[in-house]
Amino acid sequence: MISKLVRRTHMYLALFLFPWVAMYALSTLVMNHRATFLARYGDGPIPYERERQMVYDGTLPADADLRIVSTQILTSVGLDGAHNVSRQKDGTIVISRNDLTTPRRLTYSPADRSLLIERQQRRANAFLERFHRRRGYATGYRLDTVWAVSVDVFIVGMVFWVLSGLWMWWEMKITRRLGLTAIASGIALFAFYLGTL
Amino acid sequence: MTLSHINRRLHLYLGLALLPWFFMYGISSIPFAHTPFFERRDAAKRLPLWTLRAEKTVDVPVPEDAGGLRPLGAALLREAGVNGTSFGTYRQSPTQVNVYAYSFWQSTQLKYYVDQKKLTVEDRRFRWDHFLTGVHARGGFEQDSLLDRSWSLVVDLVSLSMLLWIASGLYMWWELPGQRRWGWVAIAAGTASFAFFTLRL
Repeated sequence: MISKLVRRTHMYLALFLFPWVAMYALSTLVMNHRATFLARYGDGPIPYERERQMVYDGTLPADADLRIVSTQILTSVGLDGAHNVSRQKDGTIVISRNDLTTPRRLTYSPADRSLLIERQQRRANAFLERFHRRRGYATGYRLDTVWAVSVDVFIVGMVFWVLSGLWMWWEMKITRRLGLTAIASGIALFAFYLGTL
Repeated sequence: MTLSHINRRLHLYLGLALLPWFFMYGISSIPFAHTPFFERRDAAKRLPLWTLRAEKTVDVPVPEDAGGLRPLGAALLREAGVNGTSFGTYRQSPTQVNVYAYSFWQSTQLKYYVDQKKLTVEDRRFRWDHFLTGVHARGGFEQDSLLDRSWSLVVDLVSLSMLLWIASGLYMWWELPGQRRWGWVAIAAGTASFAFFTLRL
């Protein structure tokens, strides 16, 4: 009974989480070969392209917290979501909207009330890296928190796959000898790297 | 030996051999996903993270292009007496270059203040969460040592194995006709959730 439960949980968890596995595997390959992409695109920041420019006619509360101002601006242009914001020396407010597929930069100049919206050039490697590094608990947005919970579920899933995999292997007596060799080789190599790198 | 048999054995033995990496990537994701918790916990100890080991006057030319930073980093490490380590060199500001030298167990930071011609060497206090994130993030083929590159090769192998586990796992599931309906439900639910996050985050 327990054996069946372990097998089914191992399988169904994997079937549900396979997009996460694929994303983390592909993004790891991309990050491991970052030099290849630097050679292709150069090592500077990813350029932005102008999307639209407008006069922002909303009223921003005086002396308000910068996060309140940025949220109001983002909401008014339909782009509310996880972001960072900073105020430049000349008073310009720069908002980096951390959209997963299309990161944007919004620049608001209080002097002429202009709002420039730019989108980052699309690059598959940068998209995968953003996905890999995405955290969620600190943004204050519910969707990001749910994403962070899904990452926690994935972490639990990884540990469970290891433990349940060991359980299932041990149940197959015929594979024990070769399995032990595989485990011992892996642990020895890992320990070697820990000791030398 | 049938294809099904080969598929099952490949799924199993690859998993067993790479088990330390898979387990490490799982456990080490916790400090990444909950960084504020670990930072708060460490801050409560009120211990400095970096300790000054040495400070000396050094006069080395600083290249304008980013390509020349790595040789500069190597030169600064020699000046500091830090040998045989993996490192990265970064331009912190127009007047400061940082060299970050690291192993799994120890990290040293060099700061070269160009205008003052001053080099400081600092050692980082060991923290288990940093150890785990350091092992997790280790990779790339920029380092000169063969050992470093072989680790990165294993990282590639683990990533490719994860893709292989998906394919072989799907094959094994398909061989269980009784599990197909609920399997489709799990696949559809996972794919839909992931697509939703991709489009909305």
